Amino acid sequence: MTYFIQQMLNGVCWGSILAMLGAGYTMTFGIIGLVNFAHGEIFMAGAFAAYFALHVAGLPFGVAAVLGILGAIAIGLLVERIAFRPVRGSGMITLFITSFAASIGIRTLFVMLFTDRAKPFSMPAFLKGAYLIGDLFIFKKTIAVVIVLVVVGALLMYLVKKTKTGIAMRAMSYDSETAQSMGINTEKIIIITFIIASALAGVAAIMWGVSYGRIRSSMGMMPVVDAFIASVIGGLGNVFGAIVGGLILGIGETLFVAYLPPELIGLRTLFVWIVLFIIIIVKPSGLFRANVK
Amino acid sequence: MSTELLLELSEVTAGYGKMPVLHGVSIKCHRGEIVTLLGANGVGKTTTLRTILGQLKPRDGEIKFNGADITRLPPHKTAALGVAHSPEGRNIFGNLTVIENLRAGAHLLKTRKELKEHLDRVYSMFPRLKERRTQIAGSLSGGEQQMLAMGRALMSNPRLMLLDEPSLGLAPQLVKLVADTLTEVNRTGTSVLLVEQNARLALEISRYGYVMEKGAIALEGNAKELGANEQVKKVYLGIA
Ligand SMILES: Nc1ncnc2c1ncn2[C@@H]1O[C@H](COP(=O)(O)OP(=O)(O)O)[C@@H](O)[C@H]1O
Ligand SMILES: [Mg+2]
Repeated sequence: MTYFIQQMLNGVCWGSILAMLGAGYTMTFGIIGLVNFAHGEIFMAGAFAAYFALHVAGLPFGVAAVLGILGAIAIGLLVERIAFRPVRGSGMITLFITSFAASIGIRTLFVMLFTDRAKPFSMPAFLKGAYLIGDLFIFKKTIAVVIVLVVVGALLMYLVKKTKTGIAMRAMSYDSETAQSMGINTEKIIIITFIIASALAGVAAIMWGVSYGRIRSSMGMMPVVDAFIASVIGGLGNVFGAIVGGLILGIGETLFVAYLPPELIGLRTLFVWIVLFIIIIVKPSGLFRANVK
Repeated sequence: MSTELLLELSEVTAGYGKMPVLHGVSIKCHRGEIVTLLGANGVGKTTTLRTILGQLKPRDGEIKFNGADITRLPPHKTAALGVAHSPEGRNIFGNLTVIENLRAGAHLLKTRKELKEHLDRVYSMFPRLKERRTQIAGSLSGGEQQMLAMGRALMSNPRLMLLDEPSLGLAPQLVKLVADTLTEVNRTGTSVLLVEQNARLALEISRYGYVMEKGAIALEGNAKELGANEQVKKVYLGIA
């Protein structure tokens, strides 16, 4: 039992990262109607911005975290400007190709500039250490990640559900033309959506750095597939669903690996596909009613 | 009746892709009026409204609203000048609740006070919407969706409301509610350009009317005169 709970706690960090990435994914999907493949590179760029602030410029952790989020936003806006805006209104295939190209392009650029070797991402002192409760290790970083997830998740839900901008986003995701006739500036809403989604990727990047202690140029590749699946589990377009989907997937994946014999550890990625498969068969619309769309 | 011009289409030509639909349409709507646009299915009434809104760019001609040239203005800017739209088929946001739909319609309002004021006004016109305010709009009945589409358009307190077939598919008592609401809305200062298949209803509440045939205005005149016109009687009012 202790082992089970311990593994669950270990999965919370991974789940929180997927939740933040999935929420951003699902928001841009709701607005532009397409999966943004470059979301993983926006996440990676945020991690690098924080890394440079922390380890090259020697700035305090809090400042580095903010710069990480700003870095993610900058790359997110660049992707919107270069890969989406010029081809707005073209078909699925075009958007698919440009976002895929942006993803590969940014990753390749980072690998060329900084190689794909892991770089250290050191935790601030206040996040080091753990509480021992019975036989259970509760890491301070886990507590911090959960607090951030709850606070950011609550803010995000408030924004999407209650504010004028949130209502405009959801209206637009359902019927862009009608939304425009209400005076909603859809270009502006797209930009705001990219800013928010990228900021969430930035938060996920800081969570990653704190949880695993190192970053690399290719770090966006794997979580982005999982985060996409998380948003499908939650019902594509549903922000709350994506957060819950991310947690389910992250914790589930960790438990799956924890109970797998070591020689089968390579099957880790199989888990997410099994979950996706089950969801698509049992409840193709996802666990929650899609609410952005 | 004030004769100040609010909306003026001059020789507007528009269409989809290469196919022309409107061939030089001229329509005027004065401040404080209800003007109706009649015509059979497929003659270009909806296209006319969409061109005014900016959803379609006219190929030729000019559209003026409140003295400003809006010929090539994008829809959200046209809306900001005070033009609201209750589209054919209602196009309510099916993923939002009733109150969220109304708040989307209120996007251009600046203050919470204004929002509350207009919400109260719409609820008093359509008490049913108030009862259903937390319901997902996609689950409303057709009549309720029509009320919502009108209420949503009214939330911005528009100078001009474009209505596309509001009575389509409604039960008679709802048709009456729609007509009464339009009269009331008009009395409180909103001008209306009404597209209707129900010519009888439209001519009853309008001051002026246009009859469209194949993308051009075939006939126009005061609503009373139009109602007495033999051709209109025969074709649109079904009186032999
Ligand atoms: N989105 C569209 N694309 C192409 N043709 C259209 C479109 N919408 C309408 N049309 C055509 O334009 C003509 C006028 O349509 P419309 O303005 O909807 O007529 P009405 O509202 O008077 O019934 C019709 O021949 C219709 O087939
Ligand atoms: Mg029509």
